[in-house]
Amino acid sequence: MKPCWSIILEDKNILVDEGKVEIKRDNLLFIEGLVSGYGKMEILHGVSLSVGKGEIVGLIGPNGAGKSTVLKAVGGLLKITSGKVVFLGEEITNHPPYQIVEKGMAFNPQGRVVFPEMTVQEHLDLGAWTIKERKQKEEALERVYQLFPWLREKRKRRAAQMSGGEQQMLSLARAMMIQPKLLLLDEPSLGLSPKWVQTVFEKIVEIKNSGIPCLIVEQKAAMILEYSDYGYVLEMGKNRFEGKGHDLLQNPDVRRLYLGG
Amino acid sequence: MGKKFERTQIIIGFILFMAFLISIPFFASDYWMTLLVLILIYTVYASGWNLFSGLTGYTNFGLAWFIGISGYLSSILIADYQWFWLLAWPMGGLLVSILSMGVGYILLRIKGVYFAISMVALTEGTRELFGTGYLEPITHGGKGIPFVAGIRLPTLYWSILFLAFATVFICYKITSSRFGLRLVAIREDEQAAETLGIHTTKEKIIAFALSAFLVGLGGAIHCTYQNYIDPNYAFNIQLTLTPIVMTLFGGIGTVFGPVLGATLFTFIHEILWAELTLLYMAIFGAILMILILFFPQGLLGWMKEKGILPKIRKI
Repeated sequence: MKPCWSIILEDKNILVDEGKVEIKRDNLLFIEGLVSGYGKMEILHGVSLSVGKGEIVGLIGPNGAGKSTVLKAVGGLLKITSGKVVFLGEEITNHPPYQIVEKGMAFNPQGRVVFPEMTVQEHLDLGAWTIKERKQKEEALERVYQLFPWLREKRKRRAAQMSGGEQQMLSLARAMMIQPKLLLLDEPSLGLSPKWVQTVFEKIVEIKNSGIPCLIVEQKAAMILEYSDYGYVLEMGKNRFEGKGHDLLQNPDVRRLYLGG
Repeated sequence: MGKKFERTQIIIGFILFMAFLISIPFFASDYWMTLLVLILIYTVYASGWNLFSGLTGYTNFGLAWFIGISGYLSSILIADYQWFWLLAWPMGGLLVSILSMGVGYILLRIKGVYFAISMVALTEGTRELFGTGYLEPITHGGKGIPFVAGIRLPTLYWSILFLAFATVFICYKITSSRFGLRLVAIREDEQAAETLGIHTTKEKIIAFALSAFLVGLGGAIHCTYQNYIDPNYAFNIQLTLTPIVMTLFGGIGTVFGPVLGATLFTFIHEILWAELTLLYMAIFGAILMILILFFPQGLLGWMKEKGILPKIRKI
């Protein structure tokens, strides 16, 4: 008997570059036939995707398609009822979040989750707490300060005193403290002004260029596809389209259905 | 320079204050010492409660369970096995802290009001159980255990003073540590804390067990001080509620809030009780309502808000 995900794989549309039969990508993160949801409510009915080295992968789709659910299931926050998640060649299906983080997968949750009463320094300390060695911790801190130079001056500042954009950057910086091998971002643009959205995305590209791939869930589909090396479109908890970022952008079906014409 | 000077001043002030507290049995009357013993016992309860609930945001309504379990073991050891009080107390603390790990493992997965109610149920259930005939050979049933520990009031006072100091010191250290930071992260947003790789269940259980140990030690001393224990007294819901109200009064989630709360609360209670015996509960209720309405963050939280005290968690 075929597993259920293979049936789903068959009717999804893979956009392939002309002339090439297949797009070769090496898999850092590999998700196959993911079935998950909240309690008895199943949201994902078999989602498959992968993230390769040095890639920004965008995950888009209409509201309720299960984009954030994918990230939560991968990050260990939701129970996976079927399917598997492979990270760095190791299966991490249903591992608890603290183990997944220790393996090098950082998760930046939705809605710029910062702790209002804590200072910038404390956020970064918290982010690095899985690192045991002091020297490594200092190196991580130094690297994050290089990536976000303005945080150094504001390290005594409490998160409550910061603007929404600054909080999102702080959340990103905190996720970077574990020196991740993969970064999961859940709607980094949510609730930010256009200027800050731009800044945040530029930072994400900088992070990618430093060698850390990102899997990003976004509501701003056109924008994320522009930055993405590869993209996936989800619908009703299933894969609908996938392909290179700009191919998806140009595809008439994707444009009509998800990018507003 | 200025900051260093300030620090020295604080340390000198603190040493003088401690010296004063330690020397109290040499000149104060028994009445004052008794009052201070009560304040210190409640300081331990309130600080111990705050250590877990104030930092993690899980409201623990099972303080009386900590007190009762530890009080019972230490009292039985002293009364029936003639143990020396100083050895019996830590046994009570250890027992309740080990039991609380098991309880925490099961109950710390449920949140909010459900956790609170479960702890009340646990306390009430244990109270019933300790009064029944089944456990009578051990607990002496509902008639309780009167006993004499052979400890003089000054010694008891110094013991509870030491415990209260240790408790507040531990709270201070934890609040300003990374462990405290992780607990606060759990309080603010447990799922976000998880995404940072914090093993939330483990951290909660550690804080819960530590809180149980400190409160349990306080409970053991409390029972020795009363020279008596019975189920209705040891597992009394008042023992849970009073420290919680004191903490809210002083400032939840702060280090010195519970100390301030326990001190002021005991004094107000004492004055009202002595002067207006018939009205004191009514006046007390009114004071509480005013405090909750106008100082929801407690006295210390209010002082931080107004800039009288710096806005740091270490206070």
